[in-house]
Amino acid sequence: MTWRDALLLAARGVSRRFGRAVLTVLAVGLAAALLTALLTIATTAETRVLNELSKGGPLAGIRVSAAAPDPSQVDQDDARPGPPRDLDAGAARRIAALPDVVSVVPVIAVHGFVIPPDPDVDPFLDTVVGVDLERTAQLPITVLEGRLPAPGALTEMAVTQGYLERLDLDPQEPEAVVGTEVEVASARFYPSLGDDEIRGRWTKALIVGVVAQEAAPGQFLASIEYARLAQDWRAAGGSGGFIEVTTSAYSGLFVVARGLDRVGPVRHQITAIGYSTSAPENLIATVQRYLRVVEIVLSAIGAIALVIASLGIASALLAAIRERRREIGVLKAIGARDRDVLRVFLVEASVIGFLGGVVGTAIGWIIARIVTSVVNGYLTAQGLIGVRLGLSVPIVTGGIVGSTLLALLAGVLPALRAARLPATEAVAGS
Amino acid sequence: MLEASQPREAVAITVRALRHHYRTPAGPLVVLDGLDLDVPAGGYVAVSGQSGAGKSTLLSILGGLERPKAGDVIVGGVNVAGLKGDELAAYRRSTVGFVFQHFGLLDTLSARENVELACALARVPRQRRRARAGDLLAAVGLQERTAHRPTQLSGGERQRVAIARAMANRPSVLLADEPTGNLDEDSTERVAALLESIHRDHACTLVVVTHNRRLAARASVRLALRDGKLVAA
Repeated sequence: MTWRDALLLAARGVSRRFGRAVLTVLAVGLAAALLTALLTIATTAETRVLNELSKGGPLAGIRVSAAAPDPSQVDQDDARPGPPRDLDAGAARRIAALPDVVSVVPVIAVHGFVIPPDPDVDPFLDTVVGVDLERTAQLPITVLEGRLPAPGALTEMAVTQGYLERLDLDPQEPEAVVGTEVEVASARFYPSLGDDEIRGRWTKALIVGVVAQEAAPGQFLASIEYARLAQDWRAAGGSGGFIEVTTSAYSGLFVVARGLDRVGPVRHQITAIGYSTSAPENLIATVQRYLRVVEIVLSAIGAIALVIASLGIASALLAAIRERRREIGVLKAIGARDRDVLRVFLVEASVIGFLGGVVGTAIGWIIARIVTSVVNGYLTAQGLIGVRLGLSVPIVTGGIVGSTLLALLAGVLPALRAARLPATEAVAGS
Repeated sequence: MLEASQPREAVAITVRALRHHYRTPAGPLVVLDGLDLDVPAGGYVAVSGQSGAGKSTLLSILGGLERPKAGDVIVGGVNVAGLKGDELAAYRRSTVGFVFQHFGLLDTLSARENVELACALARVPRQRRRARAGDLLAAVGLQERTAHRPTQLSGGERQRVAIARAMANRPSVLLADEPTGNLDEDSTERVAALLESIHRDHACTLVVVTHNRRLAARASVRLALRDGKLVAA
């Protein structure tokens, strides 16, 4: 008997006991739904927490400072840098050539005076972080509102929520500043001007978006071209007054390692080259461990539900076999081998498991969406950004395949019992 | 008649010193006690006897459904008593066709699918098995009822489907256990005629267990089972 013939017989068997089959499928489906919903919610929560830690950037990110390393700080997440050390393109190339380094993105942070559009807010001193805006995927930058400045733009900036707080605006309403202008000046020291020794290179920039970013401390994000111009202009005046000019081409680098487990070795190698690094590797690893425990607990709850459902399948199949003893006997009497009968019942169990898996995964997804919308309602009320639910292919595939395999497993004993029934069952009632 | 299912060459049946008993709370119940039987290739034998005499047991043993406690059952030169597992399944599938008193049809399948099932077990290709099932059902006069399920057929029609299924793999031996036991007079006559025509046209060896005297009268050899042994009826 071919698998196709076995499938036909199994399908007919299921259709004959349609009501019972539906109940069995629903039992498996509910268990699969529970598992899918729990895992989807757990995965989404994990992604949300890790995103919060990495500000949307790569988890395996390392910040390199234009400073020598402090040997006592090497394994600290937030290492205190040693004395300043120039960081240039040559150093960036050497770091990029290290094994396990995926990318290196230069960062130039320049101080500047800021005059906000609100006349009630005093001008203040802050930092403009300049990065290559074509490589933001490799940086810890998340757009909360609006967009990023265009690559190479000299008159566009994004701001952080700190800027909104500075303006006494609600950080949860970032749209309030998008489209406004801000004046930023890079300061330069003119020793010949006496009391007016400080001059600014003023730029009126359009705020195009609000971001969360950890590339470098600073409330303004601009193109690296803007930051380089400001840095060069400032450097031309030299140090003096409160202005201290460094000769470092970059204020830092953002390095991405091949994985979280490679962050430590890469940090050690960068330290050996001579630069201070920091990375939230220990924090992320700890959080991941806690989240993994939560995931395991939730998976165990779902798995217990699936095991209970599989017992239901085994029970339904055993009942079916009791009812179909003569049918099985007839099959054997007309030449079915033990494995033919085994195949029919295993296929029947698999069909029930597969249908249950499909139904359950769909229901689980719907439950996860409902829970997410409730959670998002709560987060919004608390002034926090909501969770975005992602359809996880491994969870969906795992839910369906897992239900099918578990049903198959549950069907083994009943199927073996059916296969061992003697052919004389065919004439038992005669 | 049944042109689509030309049988394999008819084979002889030889049974020697066949013993069989069932365990009961009161001790072993002997049903076959040193039974001997010779059926020539292409023979037609009717076995009768009282209820509980062991007729169905004898047929089950001949059909490989049940293993005897002792003795030899030689069908076409093969000792069926020594077969097991896949060999025994192959014997049931190819050498014998079995017709049950209660028809033994699968209620979830149509008449055609019931016949096809026997072919499917023998791994006959799908197209050929469909054609063969259609021809066999036409030969038993059920060409208009191929899509009907057993519950939609009369007793006589069900038994004809069962006969068509028994012939699906062109057996050398046809075994029928009370084939008319659940049928009315007209259906009995029709099934009896059908079995006779199969035996005549296909020269297969036919063993029928029956209480029905008219059916038994059609056989060339009539035997009765008494005290676990076969005697002339």
